[in-house]
Amino acid sequence: MSSPFLTPGSHSQLDQLALLHLRRDQAIPTVLQLQDEDNAGYKEGKVTTTRFGSFPHTTLTGQPWGSQIIASKVDTGSRRGRGPQKKNRQLKRKADDLDSATTTPAEGENQSSPQAAVAASSGFLHLVYPTPELWTMSLPHRTQVVYTPDYSYILHRLRARPGSSIIEAGAGSGSFTHAAVRAVFNGYPTTTTTTTGEREGVDAGPSPKNRRLGQVSSFEFHEQRVGKVRQELREHGLEGLVHVTHRDVYQDGFLVGDSKTGTSPKANAVFLDLPAPWLALRHLVRHPPSGAESPLDPTSPVYLCTFSPCLEQVQRTVSVLRQLSWLDISMVEVNNHRIDVKREKVGLEFEKVRGAVVFPKSVEEAVSKMRHVEEHSRKYRELQQQQEEEDGTPLPASGDKQGKEEKAPAQAKAVPESETPVAVSDLTQTSSVPLYQQGRLVHRTEDNLKTHTSYLVFAVLPRDWTEEDEQKCREKWPPHQVDQPMQTEKPKGRKQLKREQLQKEEAEEKQQQQQQQQQQ
Amino acid sequence: MHSYVRPNQFVAFKLPSDQTRIQKIVPNTQVFLGKYGTFPANQIIGRPFYLTFDIHETPGETDSTYLRIVSAAELHAEHLIAEGEGDGDDQEPAVEAATMRTNRDTIDDRSTQKLTIEEIEALKKESTGAGKEIIAKLLESHSAIDQKTAFSLAKYKLRKERKYMKRFTVIPLDVSLLTNYMLQDKEAARTLEMRDEALGLLGCWGNVHHGGSTSFDMETVLSNPNGRYLVVDDTGGLVVAAMAERMGILYPHDGDFDEEQQDAHQKVPATAGAQGEHDGEAPSTEGATSRRNRRPQMSAQGNTITLLHANKQPNISLLKYFGYEADDPSETHPLYTNFKTVSFMQLLDPNADSIYDQEPAEIPAEELSTYKSSKRSAYHRKRGRWMRVRRVVDEARAGGFDGLVIATLMDPSSVLKHTIPLLAGSAPVAVYSPNIEPLTEVMDLYSTARKTAFINRRRELMEQRATSDDPVDVRSELEEEFPLDPTLLLAPTLETSRVRVWQVLPGRSHPMMSSRGGADGFIFHGIKVIPTQEHIEAAGNPSRKKRKIARSDETPADSGEGADVEMTA
Repeated sequence: MSSPFLTPGSHSQLDQLALLHLRRDQAIPTVLQLQDEDNAGYKEGKVTTTRFGSFPHTTLTGQPWGSQIIASKVDTGSRRGRGPQKKNRQLKRKADDLDSATTTPAEGENQSSPQAAVAASSGFLHLVYPTPELWTMSLPHRTQVVYTPDYSYILHRLRARPGSSIIEAGAGSGSFTHAAVRAVFNGYPTTTTTTTGEREGVDAGPSPKNRRLGQVSSFEFHEQRVGKVRQELREHGLEGLVHVTHRDVYQDGFLVGDSKTGTSPKANAVFLDLPAPWLALRHLVRHPPSGAESPLDPTSPVYLCTFSPCLEQVQRTVSVLRQLSWLDISMVEVNNHRIDVKREKVGLEFEKVRGAVVFPKSVEEAVSKMRHVEEHSRKYRELQQQQEEEDGTPLPASGDKQGKEEKAPAQAKAVPESETPVAVSDLTQTSSVPLYQQGRLVHRTEDNLKTHTSYLVFAVLPRDWTEEDEQKCREKWPPHQVDQPMQTEKPKGRKQLKREQLQKEEAEEKQQQQQQQQQQ
Repeated sequence: MHSYVRPNQFVAFKLPSDQTRIQKIVPNTQVFLGKYGTFPANQIIGRPFYLTFDIHETPGETDSTYLRIVSAAELHAEHLIAEGEGDGDDQEPAVEAATMRTNRDTIDDRSTQKLTIEEIEALKKESTGAGKEIIAKLLESHSAIDQKTAFSLAKYKLRKERKYMKRFTVIPLDVSLLTNYMLQDKEAARTLEMRDEALGLLGCWGNVHHGGSTSFDMETVLSNPNGRYLVVDDTGGLVVAAMAERMGILYPHDGDFDEEQQDAHQKVPATAGAQGEHDGEAPSTEGATSRRNRRPQMSAQGNTITLLHANKQPNISLLKYFGYEADDPSETHPLYTNFKTVSFMQLLDPNADSIYDQEPAEIPAEELSTYKSSKRSAYHRKRGRWMRVRRVVDEARAGGFDGLVIATLMDPSSVLKHTIPLLAGSAPVAVYSPNIEPLTEVMDLYSTARKTAFINRRRELMEQRATSDDPVDVRSELEEEFPLDPTLLLAPTLETSRVRVWQVLPGRSHPMMSSRGGADGFIFHGIKVIPTQEHIEAAGNPSRKKRKIARSDETPADSGEGADVEMTA
């Protein structure tokens, strides 16, 4: 068992999750299979259809990760089981199944080897391995999702490291679960059934030591979501690393297995994404009043984070944390935004350029354009005057107007052509700069801004420390034993040593010189 | 896990002034905390972290110093009392004008405090109760104390506590703490003003994690080791430390796990004794053979960090806080085997590097045995260093890395130019910069318009090469116009995160009034992809076809792939 999230290998493999990356925020998760479970009836076997074309899984399997994959010509028209017909078919098939008790292949001859795919003329996508970030982006939403900016910070502050054990309550859509697994992962369990934090690395090495494997204990009270999360984790190869428990943690606490006699996850870190985290906190103590085992790791400090959208929730949580002796309590919110970078094109030369603003880019350009317009109208007036002079006395309006209209536009048109060298030369100049380099490079916050996700409350619960422990420690480390006076203890910096060395040398030199002088 | 204070470990002390002080805890020595007191190190060794201690001593007596653990209830006492009062009646706590104190009558000068500086100094000398007595005296002799509102009284007390309390909290030194320490207490510029939130994002977008237990499926792991990361770090080792922490190779005691798992599959040094001869990397010959897990420096296959550095020696001075001295690394530290350094010159032009280029002449064993031991070990050291540099540089040049994380003073585009080709397909790239401009430039180099132009130009050149006999060097022609190959990176994105800290107190919750300014810190990230060289049209809505081509960037897949799959399936 290996997970493409953690150890993807170099190539995509059958029966593993792969992501079909369409564009920045759009990727389709799919488990690579030759045959379609739903028997959609493609000759090519299982096919994923996207807006950029159809992709038979035969073209996606065994490819190096990151490859660009061309869409294939897939006959979507004549296959069996489309539209309303499909339902009938499926019903029929179910009936058939009952009779034959085996799964009937949709296309008998194609069952074992799907037809080779033919490349389409257009369309492609990128085949990438899943990461918690990409999964968060593409996962099916069941609840509010904890996004990358939040979980990256939370896991960092929770000190979730390889080998840690982390409790997550409110599995929700599973985005945090995936990120948490990656953070604590330090190897797959050799036996998938054990649920405790301590495992013996039986096959781990020549000298098996107790080696703690990272694990996530996830709790969710919504039964359907539990099922979905479990199925996802199985598909993602994370089964042995995450233990999903269907449980109302307010009532029943955090022991894995049975709520009273179950094993402790021995957590080093706790993440609570619950509506009322303060109700769950009473179970997260060193010595539960009920006498049950503590779900916390007795040998390490425990880091906690709660994720609540409202300030009222935060206040109640913090108040209870204080009562339960949590320390270093702090509350923060993470403001994250993405930044768009583009080339802003403003200028008169950008006529007919997409996305550009045709407007003077500078005072100089504005003035030169105005000058040009002025010049143009002056010419026009002169022309008019000339005409009038030529015609002598102005004629009655009716007869002359026609002639004027004919003449004047013709002249006016001629003028700009000959008299706009500036604009023309501008155009030719800019066209020598490639389109992608034109304009000014600008950046701004993206249009859709998440201004608030949730408040994060952090706290630490130190290890239990009894008088007995203290006594033992005192015996081992005599409290008043101080070997040397501090002054000599302070290590000298390299620079200082050098300086001293130099001073010493200088002094010696001086001495020598003095000696020499004396001798002379 | 940081379960207790280990001897000779660096730890952090949080002082009443909110300052952090980092010190190495050497057994049988004194720990100095400036005006906050002095105490023997032995009194905190072996104790758990996050405990707060008061320093008590009787003046004039030697060995009278003792530490008292301050309980959480005591630390929270004021808030708990305040909350308890509030709990009585949930409605507005009886708004009576008589009891509602305001700051209307407070006097804004120092004449209210009747204790003189001399008196306070004298108190300090006599005081035994960790500064509490001084504060009590100060409150007593404040003439206008009864005019203060509850809030201002609390503030006054807090201010005095910060000044006079002999109290400290012991905190484990980890990456998060070091980041804040460098940012707030030291020179932030040395770490490029890196913040926690930026480090978290870097690690996530870089997909940095443990490469996996190798006891599982040995074959594939050996042929394709997991978790090899490429790092460019000009933060003095902070980014390396953060990555190492995420990979479980930062702390000396992490090693227990790691060595084990490395040994499992990686039987490189099967016989520890012979290994010294083979690799000759042992800085000391004695005692080395007895160590079971002795492996040559920088020899790990998976779960490794390769640091690219600009100067002859990398600056990784901050790693010393985690027990890894760059000059003389401890052999038992996990970074000893899993952290590799390669200079950019070694990467681009290895033969220009004298160590790489000049193989020390091999000396036959018989001749060697006649050498003096110092000369022999010098020979082994030289030979070992050459072999190590060879191996590490060749490995880096071969590429296939699983992720790239950059925080550099250099132009990021020049770094990306040489590092992106070293990544495996689908490997993520994450770049940090304190300022946005270097990254907007990178974004522009990967802009859709540029990508389209690049692809068109490449096709043109290819056609040119196909039709004319004149050999056209497509690559160099393209490089002239395009400093970076824009088709190698998918979904380039720029983002920034900033954490805002709040004060949460009963009835007084609000964001902190001030915080550190300076660099916001920006993260650029994307995914390395393998474009096909054929031309391919993007599909989509025909009416927006032109735009789509430009945006979703075309690069083609081979049509031959389908057939390959059939074969393997």
